Amino acid sequence: MKNNIAILALFLAVAISTASASDYNPAAKQKKPIALVGGTIHTVSGAVIENGTVVFDKGKIISLGVNIVIPDDAERMNVAGKHVFPGLIDAANNLGLSEVSLGAPGTVDAAEVGLINPNVRAEVAVNPESEHIPVARSGGVTVVVTYPGGGLISGLAAAMMMDGWTWEDMTLQSGVGLVITWPSMVFSPSPFSQQTRESWRENRDNNLRSIREAFADARAYMNAKKAGQGRGVPYHDVDPRWAAMIPVLEGKMPVLVNAAEITQIQSAIHWAEQENVKLVLVGGRDAWRISDQLKTAKIPVIFTDVQNGPNRRWEDFDQVFKTASMLSKAGVPFCITGDRSGPNARNLPHHAANAAAYGLAKDEALRSITLYPAQILGIADRVGSLEVGKDATLLVTTGDILEITTNVEQAFIQGKKLDMRDKHKNLYDKYKEKYRQLSEE
Amino acid sequence: MQRWCTILCALAVAAVGALAQTAPTVGLRNNTPAVHAFANARIVIAPGKVITGGTLVIRNGVIDAVGAQVTIPTDARVRDMKGLTLYPGLVDLASDLGMPKPPPAQGGGGFGGGAAAASRPEPPKGAAHWNAKMFADVAAADEFQADARAAEKLRSQGFTLVLTSPQRGIFRGTSALVNVGEGNLTDLIVKPRVAHHVGLEATGGFLTGYPNSLMGIIAFIRQSWNDADWYRKAHDVYNKKSGGRQRPETNTALATLADALQYRQPVIMTASNKLNFLRVAKIGKEFGLNLWAVGSGEEYQRLDAIKAAKIPVIIPLNFPEAPSVDVPEEALNISLEELRHWDAAPENPGRLEKAGVPIALTSHQLKDAGSFLAQVRKAIERGLSADGALAAVTTTPATWLGIDKQYGTLDAGKVANIIVTNGDLFGEKTKIHEVWIDGDRYEVKVPPAQDPRGSWDLLVSADPQQSGTLSLKGEIDKPSGSVTWRGKELRLASVRYTAGRISFTLVTDSIGLKGTMMMSGTVGDKMIQGIGERNEGSAFTWSATRREPMKEEADTAKPKKVEMASFPDVFPAGEYGRPKLPDQPQNVLIRNATIWTQGPQGRLENTDMIVTRGKITRIGRNLAAPGDALVIDAAGKHVSPGLIDAHSHAAVSGSVNEGGQAITPEVRIADVLDPEDIWIYRQLAGGTTAANILHGSANPIGGQNAVVKWRWGALPDELLIAGAPAGVKFALGENVKQSHFRPGGQPSTRYPQTRMGVDQIIRDRFQAALDYERSWKEWEKDKTNIPPRKDLELDAILEMLKGTRLIHSHCYRQDEILMLIRVAEDFGIKIATFQHVLEGYKVAEAIARHGAGASAFSDWWSFKMEAFDAIPGNGPLMHSQGVLVSYNSDNAQLATRMNWEASKAVKFGLSDEEALKFVTINAAKQLRIDDKVGSLEVGKDADFVIWSGNPISTYSQCEQTWVDGRKFFDLQEDVQLRQQIQKERSTLIQKIHASKQSPSGPTPAAGAPRFRRPNETVLRSCMEGFYDEE
Repeated sequence: MKNNIAILALFLAVAISTASASDYNPAAKQKKPIALVGGTIHTVSGAVIENGTVVFDKGKIISLGVNIVIPDDAERMNVAGKHVFPGLIDAANNLGLSEVSLGAPGTVDAAEVGLINPNVRAEVAVNPESEHIPVARSGGVTVVVTYPGGGLISGLAAAMMMDGWTWEDMTLQSGVGLVITWPSMVFSPSPFSQQTRESWRENRDNNLRSIREAFADARAYMNAKKAGQGRGVPYHDVDPRWAAMIPVLEGKMPVLVNAAEITQIQSAIHWAEQENVKLVLVGGRDAWRISDQLKTAKIPVIFTDVQNGPNRRWEDFDQVFKTASMLSKAGVPFCITGDRSGPNARNLPHHAANAAAYGLAKDEALRSITLYPAQILGIADRVGSLEVGKDATLLVTTGDILEITTNVEQAFIQGKKLDMRDKHKNLYDKYKEKYRQLSEE
Repeated sequence: MQRWCTILCALAVAAVGALAQTAPTVGLRNNTPAVHAFANARIVIAPGKVITGGTLVIRNGVIDAVGAQVTIPTDARVRDMKGLTLYPGLVDLASDLGMPKPPPAQGGGGFGGGAAAASRPEPPKGAAHWNAKMFADVAAADEFQADARAAEKLRSQGFTLVLTSPQRGIFRGTSALVNVGEGNLTDLIVKPRVAHHVGLEATGGFLTGYPNSLMGIIAFIRQSWNDADWYRKAHDVYNKKSGGRQRPETNTALATLADALQYRQPVIMTASNKLNFLRVAKIGKEFGLNLWAVGSGEEYQRLDAIKAAKIPVIIPLNFPEAPSVDVPEEALNISLEELRHWDAAPENPGRLEKAGVPIALTSHQLKDAGSFLAQVRKAIERGLSADGALAAVTTTPATWLGIDKQYGTLDAGKVANIIVTNGDLFGEKTKIHEVWIDGDRYEVKVPPAQDPRGSWDLLVSADPQQSGTLSLKGEIDKPSGSVTWRGKELRLASVRYTAGRISFTLVTDSIGLKGTMMMSGTVGDKMIQGIGERNEGSAFTWSATRREPMKEEADTAKPKKVEMASFPDVFPAGEYGRPKLPDQPQNVLIRNATIWTQGPQGRLENTDMIVTRGKITRIGRNLAAPGDALVIDAAGKHVSPGLIDAHSHAAVSGSVNEGGQAITPEVRIADVLDPEDIWIYRQLAGGTTAANILHGSANPIGGQNAVVKWRWGALPDELLIAGAPAGVKFALGENVKQSHFRPGGQPSTRYPQTRMGVDQIIRDRFQAALDYERSWKEWEKDKTNIPPRKDLELDAILEMLKGTRLIHSHCYRQDEILMLIRVAEDFGIKIATFQHVLEGYKVAEAIARHGAGASAFSDWWSFKMEAFDAIPGNGPLMHSQGVLVSYNSDNAQLATRMNWEASKAVKFGLSDEEALKFVTINAAKQLRIDDKVGSLEVGKDADFVIWSGNPISTYSQCEQTWVDGRKFFDLQEDVQLRQQIQKERSTLIQKIHASKQSPSGPTPAAGAPRFRRPNETVLRSCMEGFYDEE
């Protein structure tokens, strides 16, 4: 117990040292090189380096390894006994768009009205003052991909860094993908539902038609606009919806399709092949049932259901725990996310760890929340692993990041040394002070 | 029962004797003699009592004589019954014949709730009960309207007498015994007000209002029987000693219920599934009711318990239609539970019969009442005895009703309710020809007087040189056949046979007559005389002389191979079920484990533990194995106490909220435990062994809790931990003030709508309970006055005030936590636990001083305003100030990984052992069950988990989970169970496919809506949208 109090004291000391006030501010840009010296370096893309050093400058990693040269002007941080990880990446969330989901609609910008909203952009509504942001980075989550929701074509997701004065500062990559929710393909009414099979089918068909028509219209728009560059073709007025979809049609941006059930998944795959668009599946509760197809078609899965429970009464009790492992063993590109809510983003590593407890190799579990989401979402040139030339977006922890008991002591985003205070630590300390005062009475 | 029967029997006789008439005669009298002799009949007088070539005489609606040697009275009309069989008319005890159709029942319920009473469909009339779901004073006899079509349908199945009951509400009113005939209502209604009918579903379109949950309905039923008893006593006292006393209210519903209690009138309760059966049985026992149950068809799944209930059961034959398995993805969504029920359900009647459960059969719940006999036939194929089946619709219901002197058999002296068939009543090809009710004849399907089938010598006037042959076969009223003429066989087309005349057409090209010839004729015994028209328009006549009647074709169809249920029963009846509870070995020795005792001994390395008959008997190093011990080598493994979840909503049937009123401590989770919730198994697989199942958070004072162990496969009551103190759920804050509940888009008007009101309503109910207690003490002085009304709500609150019922209060903000502490202090009591208690860290010293426990979410926050200041350091900070802290799940999935919740406390400096106490001994202490569970100590229950490693580590797996020294989960056994599930699913799905391909075709759609339980993947929890944290 004494030992633990000592650890706690250390933890608090570290935390307090980064911010003297009770507030927490976005960090300043990196001004000089920083060297993290003597830690266990989990590069993720390469081997684990014991007693290693990472040096970064101007926001980029400039060297890492054992016995490397540390620039003279570098700020040296002794991380002996600590672990260094790339910052964690949450591949599917709505952090920043929904502060208090129930009872405070003024704080919620999660879903625009209407079924077809390809032009809305998540990043512009991410509130940099969201209390979820500092809490997420305290959990080691440095990049969160924020999705708009609602309707069928919900809008454009953006990869947001968990620090910055403005949403523009925070945006690592806008237009990471176009978010689509696939209609339910199996009639399974709830016991209380009055819905008939016919009305369900009609609704499903209407939704499928809406998605197909949106893509057909967008393609027509793209072609007309291209033709408009030639002589004698009349001008076509701008349609922001279809304009936003051009990168998808050109294969430069993936569609992020929410699909859980097996027929949803297969229907979406067939559609994506027909439309010749790059498909990323989000959800994927049944993905393991068709892992050979996913592997062959190289369709990545952002698996969101580690802690959601089996889909069917008769399925294995650990089905969701082991799904990631099954995808991994089958060679399906995948990554793991949490429950997709802003407040709980900080628990991302627990989801990967649960998968690791039920068969996912530990290194795969680590990659599933770092390098794999970066690769799937096209941001692996900057984040997801510790490599020279990549962003210095990384963590110093007390231990294995997949153990719940591990604490993140310091996080960096693009070399910026983050303020590790957050609302929770402040309240914790505030009421520690209350009890200190009471103890003196 | 005896007294009730006497009354009923007397009236039944009177009803028959009084037939015709108080009404004046219109026109001439009808004095047609009503004496009939059924001669040469096979007579099934009663099940198993058959005479052949017998005679039955009826006179004025009553059987006069029956037997083989009966002399036919000279004044009788003789009816030759050669080849026919007489049966007693059938009785259906669960009919809705002639009742107004209620609007469809609505699901949902739960959280919301406006005014205390349900909104009435129409303004109340008369001295109506306060609750709009109470219709006890509605009488079927008053509501009954003749329904000729429905009656005809029932007669087609042999029913002559039904007990029909109103269909609306919870207490639905009294039934009437009604003839399935036509005519004056005074003749049809045999007996009014026979039984009270009560359902566990509020039928009739009730969406809101108290009660709107299953547990609320049960509580309401319980309170109503108490109220009925009080009503009678109150009026007795008032009537005896009028003057100087406040007059008790007049309430016609309670008056009729009081009569039912006093005279032990039958109470028929609907048990729409096997668990509801056990629930109604408990109610019956509690109030000493003369209870019968209308079953569900699932009774076979809990046969022993249902037998032990000793209740007459009226069982429907709504065998489920085959689940849709043609489409693989739809088949995926069919549970094994559903497949097994499809496979076994037709054996329900037979299995109940064999178990000695008294059964009656009903056509109720069939999609088509006209399929009743076919369903009985299926039940007989699947094990029900034919005599048992007949008894279940004749003698048995008559005996239960106490009318067996008038009904149920064809003995002399009984009412002439008779079925005439051409064979065994339950035979596949048998037709009912006619039905007699009170001596009146109703045709069902009387075959034509002349049978045209056979071969006839044909003579056609247009072609006198050529005689031919007419051959007719097939059904007597739908014959088919051919004409052989000029050496060719011509097939008859468009054959019709009605009103004694046969007609058909012939294509005659092949005999040289171009076109089609039309022929028709009147069929006599020996001759057909007819006319025809040839293709070119010329008319002719024809005749046919019978050569020979149709020879009965030998039935060459192979006897249908009857397939019985493919798999023996397991508990629960589906996935992961077992034939019985896991064994409890005499001795178990766990060897060489790291044992987390969570008690004073701390964590012990390389240690052994001995379990004897479910209790821990020794913990130490190098223990000698008792001779018979099951030895488990646990080297490298960790053993911890079973994890305890101090806040669960798993294993509950129906809504976990009774939101129809703000104060509902009369509702009881224990009434609605569902031991078949699949999450029980899944939680065992995560090491959770015990849970505090709580009412939801809709009400300041919610319902009573149930403290259970996850004994997967047990009966509902067997989940309860014996000796665990009673408790109740309180709730404060946004949920109880209905911040997120806007009925019809409008703010709710239920009191309270502020935290101020929450304080006041709790205080007011506490005070009400004390005043209630005073009124009892006052009354008990001489017991001569009108007694106070027994109030189950206030009884429960009194228990809280006396400290015998633990208060577990949902709360978030520090202000409300402090408020409740002060309320409790003002009434001199303690709050047992604050639940969720998200801002507990802000007033930890007050919680500690009060002595309450704190059962928290580990780290949920920001899902609503009152959760915005929740912090993950809450538990550790409260712990540091001396509060007894546990972590709970409030979510079925989270409860499969409680150890990982505990790990979160380690982040704040707690040791692994201290952290694990948050989900073991601390939770046990909060629930006051730490003398039994929560730590591994000698004398405690052997509830433990074997982990692959340190349970605080995210990488560790639960390998075995033991409860009471029985292994309820084992990773290796789980693999076998999975294989078993695969095998059973595929077998049954193949069986469905085969049944569709069989000549007899697929299972007819006779059932009620397809069996389906609410979606298993719905997690009852904090994060569940509208129902948020309960």
